[in-house]
Amino acid sequence: MVDSLFLGIAVLTIVSAIAALEMRSLIYGGIALMGTLGGIAGFFILLDSPFVALFQIAVYVGSIAVLILFTIMLVKNELIFQKKEDPKRRYAGIALMLILMISLGAVIFNSGLSSITTEEPPVDYKEIGEDFLIYYWPALIAMALVLSGSITGAMILARRQDGVEDEQRTD
Amino acid sequence: MSVIAPKFRLGYLIKAITDNIFWIIVLLTLIGLPAVMIVLIYIDFPVIDGEIWNPFRVFDAMTHPERSLPLVKNFMQTDFFKIAVFPGLGFAALIGGGVIFVERKLLAKLQLRVGPFYCGKVEGILQLVADGLKLISKEIIIPAKADKPIFWAAPVLFAATAAAFVALIPVAPGWVVADIDLGLLAVFAVIGFFPIITVLSAWSANSKYPFIGGIRALFQMVSFEIPLILSLLGIVMLTGTLDLVEIIESQVNFPWIIFMPIGAIVFFICILAELERIPFDLPEAESEIVAGWLTEFSGMMYGLVQLGTYIKLYAFAALFVVMFLGGWNGPWVFPIEPIAEVITDGIVIMPGALTVELSGLPLFSQEMINGTIWFVLKTVAVIFFILLPRGVFPRVRIDLLLKIGWYKLIVLAFVNIFIALALVYSGVIGPGGIM
Repeated sequence: MVDSLFLGIAVLTIVSAIAALEMRSLIYGGIALMGTLGGIAGFFILLDSPFVALFQIAVYVGSIAVLILFTIMLVKNELIFQKKEDPKRRYAGIALMLILMISLGAVIFNSGLSSITTEEPPVDYKEIGEDFLIYYWPALIAMALVLSGSITGAMILARRQDGVEDEQRTD
Repeated sequence: MSVIAPKFRLGYLIKAITDNIFWIIVLLTLIGLPAVMIVLIYIDFPVIDGEIWNPFRVFDAMTHPERSLPLVKNFMQTDFFKIAVFPGLGFAALIGGGVIFVERKLLAKLQLRVGPFYCGKVEGILQLVADGLKLISKEIIIPAKADKPIFWAAPVLFAATAAAFVALIPVAPGWVVADIDLGLLAVFAVIGFFPIITVLSAWSANSKYPFIGGIRALFQMVSFEIPLILSLLGIVMLTGTLDLVEIIESQVNFPWIIFMPIGAIVFFICILAELERIPFDLPEAESEIVAGWLTEFSGMMYGLVQLGTYIKLYAFAALFVVMFLGGWNGPWVFPIEPIAEVITDGIVIMPGALTVELSGLPLFSQEMINGTIWFVLKTVAVIFFILLPRGVFPRVRIDLLLKIGWYKLIVLAFVNIFIALALVYSGVIGPGGIM
């Protein structure tokens, strides 16, 4: 049962990833990307970590994919994408990917990682939260500072320079 | 002689009917019965109450309906029943359909109109059926330059996502379709799909008004999702769980709205915005952009979107009840124990002569009936408060809407979280406190 599920999700993920790269229509490419990200969430469920899976769906499928779709819809695609058809590049890319995958797979298969079996229950998300707040709190605060700094920087960069006030604002 | 069937004769009608009956009998005996027999060879019959149920027992139960109680009871424990009928789609669609009618009638009364009146003689009670028949029988028109696959898929996906939301809502003790530990997170994940479907369907129609409506819906839903999630975090901190069933069970003594009224208000306003209801109905503003992102839908496609909208309305109201109003908890209004003699001896209709023995009673546990009564009452009350602004308020402007979402509601949600933290750390709630 789990094997067939795994195979199904793997096929979904890989096929939609290829579709996301190869689709002519950018919108369909975006939808295929959503399929890939959802397939990864399926892997997380199979690996007994529903917490990560649900966040994967909520953040990547629910927010990032919406941002991508929204950007595609608002931008005229001729302006940013110039179609350069070059079959040599494609074959080179496929060959490079195959070499990478085979070498990575060889490393993983030889590392003994494939023979590990555990009987331990899945990690409770409460323990992860406690670890974050007790043991890793400096990292958490550093991350928060970096994030808020980057948001502030983005807001400063996006601010209007010409000083034109929006005339419709009444409040 | 009528115009519709000019060559009508009663003899022809009778001949056609008898002809059809003849062929049905012939086909049933020659093909139907052997096929049934072949299928029956390969089927394992279920064992219910220590007896094997075969087709003959089913026929027997048809003549004595009280003997089919174990079968009904067994059916009610299956997943199919839960998904399709009680806590799932059928229940939600029933409440949604009722809400459509009540909304029209209520708005009419608020605005001193009559509302639906003629269908079904009594206060237009059959208006909903008439509308449904009209939607089903209308032609589905697809715009010539629309992106057809997405345009077809969008209404189905919308209704399916709303149904997935309903599946997470616990209605009575033990009666929930998908009982998972991380129910609240799953709710957030499901809510995240609505903007995608909206903006995709708006784009695929390839028309001006749907696209404007879709963009507005995207802005509105994405910006109100954040205070929606934040306003529920206080309760998660107080209960220490994301499981909706455990959150309901933590409210046996008092509902959380007593301690977090600010969170409840923020959550309620976010519900209004997520459901695109007045005063936040900019995505479908009918006086500005025809019908917003629904403009190009026709026939049953529009009906499906409408069904999804009202199922979503029920699900959000039910989530409010689960989080803030204590779910199924409430005083007993239904007798705690069923009458003992009925279970042991059966119902005596004529003393000494006729006794009906019912082997499958009680059909529902009393706890479940009581819980469902309270849950439905609370949900209907919340739905009433969601409907009410439609008769009262005008539509807000888009920049004011975004300002409410980003500046005010998020701040209030954080205030709510700090109240929750203060309650936990001061020891009012939690270990040593009243819980």
